Amino acid sequence: MLTQPANSNETADKSADAQRCVIIGAGPAGLTAAHELLEQGHRAIVLEADHQVGGISRTVEYKGFRFDIGGHRFFSKVEMVRDWWDRMMPDDFLVRPRLSRILYDDKFFDYPLKPLNALRSLGLLESIRIGISFVTIKLFPYREEDSFEQWVSNRFGRRLYEIFFKTYTEKVWGMPCSEISADWAAQRIKDLDLLTAVRTAFLGNRGSDGKVVTSLIEEFNYPRLGPGMMWERVTEVIEQRGCPVEFGNRVERVNHSDGRVRSVTARTDEGSREVFGSNFISTMPICDLFEALDPPPPEDALQAARDLRYRDFLTVGLILACSDPFPDNWIYIHSDRVRVGRIQNFKAWSPEMVPDPSKSCIGLEYFVQENDDLWSMADDDLIALGAQESASLGLIRTEDVIDGVVIRMPKAYPVYDRDYQKRLDVIRAYLEGLPNLQLVGRNGQHRYNNQDHSMVTAIYAARNIAGADYDVWGVNVEEEYHEETSASQSNGASGERLVPQRLEESRAARVLRDAFARYDAIALGFALAIPTAFGLFAATAILLIKGGPAVGANLTLLSNYIVGFQVSWAGAFIVLVEAGVLGFGFGWAMAKLINAVVGWQERALIRRLERHLVFEALDKKVS
Amino acid sequence: MIGHAVARLRASVMAVVFGLTSGTGLFVATTWLVIRGGEQVGLTLGLLRNYLPGYSVTWPGAFLGFFYAAVVGGVVGWVIAFIYNKIVARRSND
Repeated sequence: MLTQPANSNETADKSADAQRCVIIGAGPAGLTAAHELLEQGHRAIVLEADHQVGGISRTVEYKGFRFDIGGHRFFSKVEMVRDWWDRMMPDDFLVRPRLSRILYDDKFFDYPLKPLNALRSLGLLESIRIGISFVTIKLFPYREEDSFEQWVSNRFGRRLYEIFFKTYTEKVWGMPCSEISADWAAQRIKDLDLLTAVRTAFLGNRGSDGKVVTSLIEEFNYPRLGPGMMWERVTEVIEQRGCPVEFGNRVERVNHSDGRVRSVTARTDEGSREVFGSNFISTMPICDLFEALDPPPPEDALQAARDLRYRDFLTVGLILACSDPFPDNWIYIHSDRVRVGRIQNFKAWSPEMVPDPSKSCIGLEYFVQENDDLWSMADDDLIALGAQESASLGLIRTEDVIDGVVIRMPKAYPVYDRDYQKRLDVIRAYLEGLPNLQLVGRNGQHRYNNQDHSMVTAIYAARNIAGADYDVWGVNVEEEYHEETSASQSNGASGERLVPQRLEESRAARVLRDAFARYDAIALGFALAIPTAFGLFAATAILLIKGGPAVGANLTLLSNYIVGFQVSWAGAFIVLVEAGVLGFGFGWAMAKLINAVVGWQERALIRRLERHLVFEALDKKVS
Repeated sequence: MIGHAVARLRASVMAVVFGLTSGTGLFVATTWLVIRGGEQVGLTLGLLRNYLPGYSVTWPGAFLGFFYAAVVGGVVGWVIAFIYNKIVARRSND
């Protein structure tokens, strides 16, 4: 344990230290916060548990080959962030062309999908199957679009959904598409459906309503040595300006009293140390932060933090004895016979990611849960699995694999499950009692944001320490980061990426939904049409078969309503058609009428409930 | 925003309701004419014997008519529910 000498110089140092900001984590958010604090004339120290900066945006170097954890395009709609990047690395950004494709059934498809390319690769038979599936879903759509599966199927047909959406989505998020909320699809895919996509292919990027579909990101900026280069550069800059970045410091205790955080206790290789400060910025996962709080927070807040869920990630890096395995930056693997979800080709990101031009390196990305079978698998076995899977996909030859490395990234993706927002509300309510502690970044806020969004939260937190009053939790949560979108809907600033949520429906909503169920007018129309038509047909036919002197004199009176009807075989078929139409009309109108009355009753009930709630709230206010 | 569920028809309930309504309807119609009496009771209603063998506008015919109409009405009610539910299921991709 590092001891604190108690002489007068040390006391002075401790007092000076107490005036600085302690930043937990040297990822994009932590380092940006440190830089911004220096800009604002404040002092800071960064404590990093690992021995490398960058967090999930780091670049891992292995024998001179560089591996990016997930592939980080430097693309932002926030001018402040773009300028920041350019200032930090004016000469080291490469403008790279983008090529990404989907591998399905041993065939490549452009991503974002291009209909002509897709149809050509799928072949005539599969295209017909897709067409039939699309027409079928248009005739018989899912009436309710609660799940991702229903939403996508209704727009693209079930076959296309199975080919291009189902497998990959389930790999990434580890849950069936039938359990993923449709909201996510609606936000990600917006106006796009199969017909729009086909129209775009023939007529250009203009929707039927004239709205311009923004061009897809066809090139992007990328640091020549990977994203870690950016954060290594930032580290150099802030260290030169007197802000230490101290590695191997795992914060285990956050000490607070009287509504303020006083210090953090970090474990190092040499023991533990206490680091004092006046302000604290945390980028560590909220669950770890709350476990570290001393004294511990109330049980409900602690439990809320413990219940936050994450999706973990591992990359199997393979070094290949070939110069160019494939031209793509990355390939999505839409096959359920392998477990790899996406494969990066780092040399296509930047030629400087490999030290030897005759070689290349790829990263196989597996979306996992910490401690599941893949996560726990020995590195050598994972490398063998990666080599075998990429060879089985026809992307490499196993004999070209000359080395490999495994990079595990716990808590890579915060999971937005049913109750995560409620948990965050509890967590934030507790944190209001510690005003000198701010949470920023992806894990710091449990938000699936891009690095530019993380940076903005960090800049705002730093400016708050300098006297500003930004809401770091309110940084632009609506921004779009999809591959294809309508320009008119862009909010034009940074934002977080959208993640799927499990289906949610309140019990009250479900009860109301079932209690005020509507009749299907088409179905009731047919249900009445068929018995009516065949009933009268049979009635006519029976009389004809029985015969007699004046066949069906009374039944013939139906001709008052059924035009052209008579008790004859021709009349039997006429009544079949006309009674069918009348029966359908009667059933359809009856359903519409019932639905209108039910709807009126439902609205009346909701109005009564709303009034009741308003009065209840007013009563509470008054009392 | 609350979505709307699509109502289904319970075939057995439809069969019972249609059966009882039809049976009772024909029974009442028949007995009403029988009670009113007259020279030629229920000439037109009696034509139903073309479809319901043995039926007549008499007291025994009223009971037989109840039975026939209950069976036919029950079948029609069940068929309506069956067709309706099948179409709803198909249109909802269940």
